[in-house]
Amino acid sequence: MVIRLIIGALMIGSVYGVVGIGYGLIYKASGLMSLAQGDMLMFGAFLGITFYKYLQLPFIIALLLTMIIMFMLGMFIERVMVTKLIEKGAQTVYIILCTISISMILQNSSMLTWGSNVLQFPAIFNSASVKIFGVSVAPENLLVLGVGIIIMVALQLFLTKTKFGISMRAAAQDEVAASALGINVPLTKGTAWGIASMLAGAIGVVVGPVFGVYMSMGAMIGQKAFAGAVVGGYGNMFGAIIGGVFFGFLETFVSAYLTSNYKDFITFGILIIVMILMPKGIFNEEVME
Amino acid sequence: MEQNKKSAGQIINEKKFLILEIIIVALITAYMLRGTYPSLILCFICINTIAVTGLDILFGYTGQVSFGHAGFYAIGAYTSSILSIKLGIPVVISMIIAALVSMFFGFVIAIPASKLVKHFLSLLTIAFGNMVYIFLSVTKDLTNGFSGILNIPNLNLFGFRFKSNQSYFFLFAAVAILVLIGKKRLIHSRFGRALIAVRENPHAAAGMGINVKYYKVMAFALSALLTGLAGAFYAHLIGFISPDGFNNNQSNVFMTMLLFGGIASSFGPLIGSTILTIVTEVMQGFVRYQMLLYAIFILLVLFCMPNGVSGVIANIKSRIAKRKGKKVEPRA
Repeated sequence: MVIRLIIGALMIGSVYGVVGIGYGLIYKASGLMSLAQGDMLMFGAFLGITFYKYLQLPFIIALLLTMIIMFMLGMFIERVMVTKLIEKGAQTVYIILCTISISMILQNSSMLTWGSNVLQFPAIFNSASVKIFGVSVAPENLLVLGVGIIIMVALQLFLTKTKFGISMRAAAQDEVAASALGINVPLTKGTAWGIASMLAGAIGVVVGPVFGVYMSMGAMIGQKAFAGAVVGGYGNMFGAIIGGVFFGFLETFVSAYLTSNYKDFITFGILIIVMILMPKGIFNEEVME
Repeated sequence: MEQNKKSAGQIINEKKFLILEIIIVALITAYMLRGTYPSLILCFICINTIAVTGLDILFGYTGQVSFGHAGFYAIGAYTSSILSIKLGIPVVISMIIAALVSMFFGFVIAIPASKLVKHFLSLLTIAFGNMVYIFLSVTKDLTNGFSGILNIPNLNLFGFRFKSNQSYFFLFAAVAILVLIGKKRLIHSRFGRALIAVRENPHAAAGMGINVKYYKVMAFALSALLTGLAGAFYAHLIGFISPDGFNNNQSNVFMTMLLFGGIASSFGPLIGSTILTIVTEVMQGFVRYQMLLYAIFILLVLFCMPNGVSGVIANIKSRIAKRKGKKVEPRA
């Protein structure tokens, strides 16, 4: 029982962690806040189900195609919408309004395209369950966990080992200095938004078989991922992961042992308490004023 | 100082314009009041104006962002309905109690919130809004869950029973106008200037002897009071409430209206809620496409006027003033 709960908590926690990393990337790169991450996850899940179920592509190709499309979508949003708005002299809060309307557009265009019912993602693996430590777990759950870990490791390698990743971090630290050194700052910003939405889309595809795919699936996940990112220290990658896993555990164990009706109520209540006690998050990340 | 003095002719001109505007608005209103449905829209406009003004005091003037105002809206609506149905308290009193209860929650939320900035604050308010929403949907004994509360009694004031939307409109409009005037008076008082100082630079404000925490908490409470009152109005106007109307989207709707109209401006909330309420109602006809069109509309408006409607109005005004060769004050 406990092992199954722990696996479930790790699974949902890695979902929150990956989406939370996206918030952090966007914030680090451009100092802005996007409220559309949860709906990026939803949109990615719909794209994945389209490629896998209706176009009959192999799962891995469906996943990669979704990631490419989501990357371009994120890039498009940054390059075409956000930058243009900032050039026009909009205040930062209006960027938030922009992302709110983007999330509404994503939700409603998905509803119009795919309908408002819950779509069942067909099984990815042949076997119905896998034995781990004596308990049987659906392999799709392990897939979520595996993809989450792969994404985190790959992103870390990308940001620390590749030239472009290092220039992205440089641009995040000091735009002016970075552009003086010949780094294409607008490109790194666009890439950061692109990667953020790509990550959300990818995790959306693998989470689809677990929860089913529906229009509002992203809303709650997006908010809890945001909660994880903030509690971990906004803009800190490890913070986002640890915060996400923390909320995964909290939610799973509260609904298993206390009450499932009030699980989100308690989750958010504890979030508020954590914020009062630790206003800067676990990793003491400084907040830009 | 020379520029600030207006010639007598100008004052008359400005007054003429104001009177003309009022007459036009009154004529349109009177025409709309002939039908039940148009007057319902007018009522919504007034309610939204009150709620958005509450948000404006908090966000526009004090710089405290909130994505959870639907929580206060819900508290106002549910408290007033439950009190009037279960305890049989007269509606006027239950409305006032509801607004006060909402204000109390504002206090409670503001005490941790006044320490937080930016993302932390937005997260806290999102968490608060969600907590209220979840509480309403799962506590079936009190709130009847997702089936909602039916048959909320009408308002009864000094023996006059509010039955039609028209009669409600006159009350709501009066309150909305009072709220708008009150906000203007408040902002130009010592209290309002302190709020703006807190928004511009909390450290400098503290250095000048302003009790930053006190003003942040007061702004939160005042904001919650107004939004809660709007919620109570909504409940008694419609006669039916369910948690669906008070989820995160509603908070975003308030925020959108405020940003659309323009933050920290005297008529921003009025303009924003008027235009967006009418747009929403007009788009009801498109059923499935309604929200999509709504979102696209907001995006288009954002690109055409990046700082809200009142930003454009201020721009035009300063352009006219420049053409006349006057000094223009930078926009606050």
